[in-house]
Amino acid sequence: MADIEQLAESVDSLKDSFEAHRYICSNQIATAVYLAFHLRKPVLIEGPPGVGKTELAKTTAEMFALPLIRLQCYEGLDEAKAIYEWKYGKQLLYTQVLKETLDEVLQGAQGFAESVTRLHEFGDIFFSEEFLEPRPLLKALREEDGCVLLLDEVDKSDHEFESLLLEILSDFQVSIPEIGTVKAHREPPIVFLTSNNTREISDALKRRCLHLYIPFPDADLEQRIIHARVPDIPPELRRQLVTFIQDLRDLDLKKVPAISETIDWARTLLLLHTESLDPDLVRDTLNVILKFQEDIENVDAEIATLTNKAVRADGVGPKARP
Amino acid sequence: MDRTLTHFIAALRNAEVRISPAETLDAMNAVELVGYRDRAFLKDSLALVLPKTADEKETFDTTFDQFFSFEDVAGQTVAVEGDSDGEDGEAGGEGQGQGEGLGGGKGSGSKGKKSKYAAVEEEEEEDLGPGAMAEPRSALARLLMQEGTTDLTVRMAEAAEEADLTQIQVFTQKGLYTRKIMDAMGLAGLVAEIGELRASPHIPERRLAQELRRRRDWLRELVRDYVERQFLLHADVTGRRLREDLLQKVKLSNVEHRNFRLIQEIVLRMAKKLAALHSRRRKVFKRGQLHVSRTLRHNMSYDGSIFDLHWKSVKVDRPKVFAICDVSGSVAAYARFMLMFLYSLDEVMPKVRSFAFSSDLAEVTELFERNKIEDAIAKTLRDYSGGSTDYGQAFQDFRKLCMDEVDNRTTIIILGDARNNYGDPRTDILKEMYDRSKRVIWLNPESRNTWNVGDAEMRKYSAYVHQAEECNSLMHLNRIVGNLLRMVA
Repeated sequence: MADIEQLAESVDSLKDSFEAHRYICSNQIATAVYLAFHLRKPVLIEGPPGVGKTELAKTTAEMFALPLIRLQCYEGLDEAKAIYEWKYGKQLLYTQVLKETLDEVLQGAQGFAESVTRLHEFGDIFFSEEFLEPRPLLKALREEDGCVLLLDEVDKSDHEFESLLLEILSDFQVSIPEIGTVKAHREPPIVFLTSNNTREISDALKRRCLHLYIPFPDADLEQRIIHARVPDIPPELRRQLVTFIQDLRDLDLKKVPAISETIDWARTLLLLHTESLDPDLVRDTLNVILKFQEDIENVDAEIATLTNKAVRADGVGPKARP
Repeated sequence: MDRTLTHFIAALRNAEVRISPAETLDAMNAVELVGYRDRAFLKDSLALVLPKTADEKETFDTTFDQFFSFEDVAGQTVAVEGDSDGEDGEAGGEGQGQGEGLGGGKGSGSKGKKSKYAAVEEEEEEDLGPGAMAEPRSALARLLMQEGTTDLTVRMAEAAEEADLTQIQVFTQKGLYTRKIMDAMGLAGLVAEIGELRASPHIPERRLAQELRRRRDWLRELVRDYVERQFLLHADVTGRRLREDLLQKVKLSNVEHRNFRLIQEIVLRMAKKLAALHSRRRKVFKRGQLHVSRTLRHNMSYDGSIFDLHWKSVKVDRPKVFAICDVSGSVAAYARFMLMFLYSLDEVMPKVRSFAFSSDLAEVTELFERNKIEDAIAKTLRDYSGGSTDYGQAFQDFRKLCMDEVDNRTTIIILGDARNNYGDPRTDILKEMYDRSKRVIWLNPESRNTWNVGDAEMRKYSAYVHQAEECNSLMHLNRIVGNLLRMVA
C-alpha cells in the first residue's frame, strides 16, 4: 500500500510512472488518476474509440500492482451477472439435505408450535454468504487490498443497470436484500468507467464520478506514444506517419483513425521494413488505419497529397503542427 | 476561499453548466487537496469534477480563464506572485496598459507601477520632484499606497459583494455599480483626504496628494474592469434566457437566421426532456427461453420441484414512430425546423424512422444517424426539396417502402401544409395508414383558417388522421409532442 501512496504522491510522479509503464498521458489524465485516488471517486472516461480509455485502467492496475477486475457492459446486463447470484444448485441440494435431517432436528418435538420453534432455532443458512456467488462488482468490493475495477463501455448497458451502479459508485457498498449491506474492505476499489458516448449517461451517474474526456492526442503526444509503444520504428518514419494520421483526422471520415490504429500502422510499417512513406505503400496499408471501404475510397484521392505533405514536412521546414 | 469557489460555481451555472450541490462538495474536496497554488493544476482538477460533457468542458475553460484572471486567487498564491514580480515590473517599465499588468500578476515593483499610473494620469501637476511622502491616513489611501495590489483586490471583491454586484443585469448598470463599489471602498474618505493634503503647505503631503490622485484614477479603471468582467459572467445569460423565451413564442418562419443555433439547442433540449419524461418501457417475453435461476428461486417454496415457470424477457422501448416531413418550396421556411425537430427526436427516441419528400419520398433515417444535425438537414434539403409538392406520390412511395411495417403500435407523424398543387390527394393511402397504425398525427405549419384555402387538401386529409394540429412555433411543438409522447408511450 505504501508503494501506491508514494506513486500517487503527486501528479508528476504518476505521470512518470505511467510513462515507465509505456502509457504516455497528458497532465489531465494524470490529474484524474491523482484525484480518483485521493478523493476516492470513480472516474468516468469518455472519448472517441481507440484513444486508450480501457488501457488507462489496465495500466493503472499494473502500475499500482493491484488486481484488475473488469466488467464488460452490454445490453441486458443485470445484477445477476454484475453483482451477485445465488448458487441455486447448492441451495437445492441444501433443501434436500435439510429434508432428510429434518427428523433429527425436530426429534421429540411436541406439537406444531414447538416444531416451528425448533425450526427457527436451527440456523438459517439458505440465504447466506456460503450460497452467494459473487460477480465482478461484489468481488471488487471484497478485495482485501483494493483493486482496480473497470466497467467497460458503460454506455452499452441499459438505464436500469446504471441505476444499479449508483450505490456502489457513491458509497462503495452493495445491498443484498437477503443478507444486508456489503461494504468495501479497507481499501475501496479504484473505479474506472468508460463510455463511447453511444448514448448520454444519466446525470445521476455523472454526478458521482470525475469526468475525464480523452481527445485525440496532438502530434507531439502521439509521437511520444508511438515511441513508447513501437520503440523500434525509426524517428523519421514515426514523425511522417504521425503527421499523416493527424491530417487524416481532419478529413470527413466515418471512422477516424485513433491511436490504436496509429500503433497498428506503425507496427505494420516496421514489419515491412519501411524507411519512409510513399503513396503506393500507403495505399496498400490503408486498410490498417481505415475500417470502412467507403472511407478508403474517399481517402484514395488524397493519398498522394497527404503523403507528400507528411514526407516533405521533415526536419527542413517548420514543424507540421505544434 | 470557499466563497471564491461558490462564486465560481455560480458563474458556471450561469454559463449553463449544470452543477449539483454534491459536485460543489466534490469541488471543495478537490480544492482542499490541490490548493490554489498551481493554476493549471487547479484548472485540470476542477475540470474533472465540475463539467460533465465535452461541451461543458469548453464552457468551463472560458469561464475559468475569465473568472480567475485575477480575483483573490493571487491573495493565496504567494509563490506565483513572487515569480511574476520581475516580469511585471518590466512590463510596466515599457509603459504597457495596466490591463496586462493585472492579468499577469500583482506584485509589481514600485518603479514599474508608477509609470503605469502615469499613463492614466495626464492632468498637469506641479512638479514636486521625488522625495519623502507623508503617511496616508484613511484605510483606502493606505491600501492604495501599499506595495502589491493583493489587499486592494480583496477589498474590492468585498466591496463588490456589499454592492451586490452579482445582481447586475444590463450593461447600463455598469457605471452605477462601479460607483457603488468605489463608495463601498471608502471613496469619500479618500477624496476628503486628498483635498486636505493638497491644501497643506508641506511638500511631502502635497506629493502624497498627487500620488493618491493618480492611484485613485487607476483604481477606478480597475474597478471598471472588474465590473465588466463580472457583468460578462453574471449577466450575459440572463439576456440569453430572455431571448430564448421570446424565441419560443415567435413564429418559426420569422426567426432570424442567426438564431438558428439557439433554436436548435432549445429543440434538442425539448425533445430530450419530453423523451425522458415519457420513457416507460415494456417487457417482451422471449418464447421458449427458460429463466433458470428465477424459476429455481421461485420454486424453492415448492420443495424445489419445478412447478412455476419463469421465462426470459427483454425490455423493449416505446413503439415505433414514423415521421414524414414535407420539405417542398411551400413550407421551405418551416422545413428546417421540422427537420431539426425530426433529427432531435431521432436522437432521443430509439425507434424513429424519418422520411422526407417534396414529390418522391425517401427515407432519411440513416442520413440522420450518420451525419451531424447541420449536415443532415442540409443534405436532406439538397436532395429532396427540389420538386413540386405531390402528396399523392409521396404516400404511394411510403406504401411501397414500409406500409408492411406499420402496425398497431406505430405512430405516424406527418409534417406538412397539405398543399397538393391540385393533384390527386390519394386519401385512400392515408386511410390505409390510418387503419393500420395506432395514431396518425398531422402537424400543419399554417394557421387553421388557411387550411382549406387554395390547393390545400386539409379537409380531405383530416378525415383520416386522428389529430390535426397547427404547429408553427416551438410552444406548439412542445405541447403537441408532449401529448404525443404520452400517447405513444
